[in-house]
Amino acid sequence: MSDIAGATRALRAERVSLAFGALQVLFGVDVEFPPGRITGLIGPNGAGKSSLFNCLTGLYRPQTGKITFGGARLDGLPPAARAGHGLARSFQHVALCSEMTVAENVMFGLTRHGKAGWASAFLPLPAGARERADARARAIAALELLAIAALADKRVGELPPGPLRLVELARAIVGEPRVLLLDEPAAGLNSLETRDLLAALRRIARPELVMVVVEHDMDLIMQLCDSIYVLNFGKVIALGTPDEIRRDPEVARVYLGADDA
Amino acid sequence: MSELALSKGGSAPVAATEPVARAPIGAWGDIACVAVLATLPFVLGGFWTYSIGVALANAVGVLSVSVLVRFGGEVSIGHNFFMAAGAYAVAILEKRWGIPFYLSMFVAPAAGLLLGLAFAYPSRSLSGIYLAVATMALGLAVPEILLQWSSVTGGFEGLYVTGHLTTVVSKDLQHYYVALLILVAVVYALKRLRHSRQGLALLTARSHPRAAEAFGVTVSWARLSVMGISASLAGLSGGTLAFVSSTVSPNSFSFSSAIFLLVGSVASFYALSLPAAVLGAAVITLLPQYFATAGEWVPIFYGAALLLVILCGNAGTSALRRAAAWLGVRHV
Repeated sequence: MSDIAGATRALRAERVSLAFGALQVLFGVDVEFPPGRITGLIGPNGAGKSSLFNCLTGLYRPQTGKITFGGARLDGLPPAARAGHGLARSFQHVALCSEMTVAENVMFGLTRHGKAGWASAFLPLPAGARERADARARAIAALELLAIAALADKRVGELPPGPLRLVELARAIVGEPRVLLLDEPAAGLNSLETRDLLAALRRIARPELVMVVVEHDMDLIMQLCDSIYVLNFGKVIALGTPDEIRRDPEVARVYLGADDA
Repeated sequence: MSELALSKGGSAPVAATEPVARAPIGAWGDIACVAVLATLPFVLGGFWTYSIGVALANAVGVLSVSVLVRFGGEVSIGHNFFMAAGAYAVAILEKRWGIPFYLSMFVAPAAGLLLGLAFAYPSRSLSGIYLAVATMALGLAVPEILLQWSSVTGGFEGLYVTGHLTTVVSKDLQHYYVALLILVAVVYALKRLRHSRQGLALLTARSHPRAAEAFGVTVSWARLSVMGISASLAGLSGGTLAFVSSTVSPNSFSFSSAIFLLVGSVASFYALSLPAAVLGAAVITLLPQYFATAGEWVPIFYGAALLLVILCGNAGTSALRRAAAWLGVRHV
């Protein structure tokens, strides 16, 4: 994007605490997601990673602490307003419109950039036609990047989960976001599909793009991420490269403990 | 998927423009339907020309409810309110200021739009049964408002709409073909909406509100927009009905006419195609005439027909599904 001081455009959560009634799920969490890197967010069930993720997307509002992106405060903004700051996301359960084609679902990712008014929604006006052709071309380009352009005119309802994940990714990246938040992108995929997803995510990575991945699939996280935050009981217990995380005794204890239970 | 997608994906050329004829049967169905409807007045007598003209005006009303279902996922049982607004706008403009239909036909949807937005804004956080009940309040209020405000609305008697567009063509044929033209224009506009940026945003907001929000589309924008479109179509339908039937009265816009619109929408499988809308309108306009001798049995026939459509639809009867596909349901 137009931003040159890319290094300062990190997504940060500072001292974020979140409670549902008496149940405290995040205890002053400090995390930073720098641009140009793929950062993983892992932890056993109930560790608070989904809660933290939802604080980033705007679904939850933390009681204390702040969330910033490139200096701008995001906490307090509803999800729709965060899109304006360049945040895009995918969903754990594929959230594509099954009545629309693959290309149309991806074109929706550009909706924020659209200028053509209501008149061109109903009447054959040149402005609307031009915008639509442009959106279609950008959608096809995004699908090509993920190697699924052949599916462009298929109906979403006809496709298996693997390609659907990639369509969601295409929808998320087509508007050239500055932050990409991925909520368990490998959920429900078989190993072949996961391999494709991994390749696709690596192709998406760019120097100015902040990428955050919440994931259960440990193999995927270890192969994909540049650095990983490990959460447990609402606190960050480790930060490091995949190798460092793998060797961390605390992480091993948490995961073995969780596995034993 | 992996081999297929990765091997084909990069190399297979994809048309930069969309395949135009995704639904050739739907398009041909529309054209055939227009052709049949355009010739009907020459084949049938004056009575049927009038009745089918009324059905064409009602078809726009059926579409107004179907739009709400398809793009908003909501049901209304109060669209007689917006229909009455459009109809009385046409009648009052003619009676008071002598404004002809070719001008007031634009005021009718505008009246529907304004009232639709005025209703949708305070109710923008309602959905499902709660919204339906809110619309019901609107629907029930219509006759009361019209009777109370009798100095303007003509009270129980209603108002006459005597104007016509030209003296060259007989009034009956004018009524019929103007209704047909308006219906065709509405179907065309809705087909464009389906493929527009706003249409894609509305469909996404309906099926996955959180996904829509994540891309900057708020659910309240979607609800306001869909209700605005739907109510303006209902207003246009009412205005057309006033022109076609040459009269407006509280009886034509009672609460039961809102129910009829919903029945027509269900009977047309909520499709936004021309044959479907005409079918839905025929069910609510022509069947009652056909069964007029049955008198009190009419509501029971309706209930049974409605139940049949819903049950068969849910059971997934393949014949009905195919019929629905032919009518363009899958292609909106």
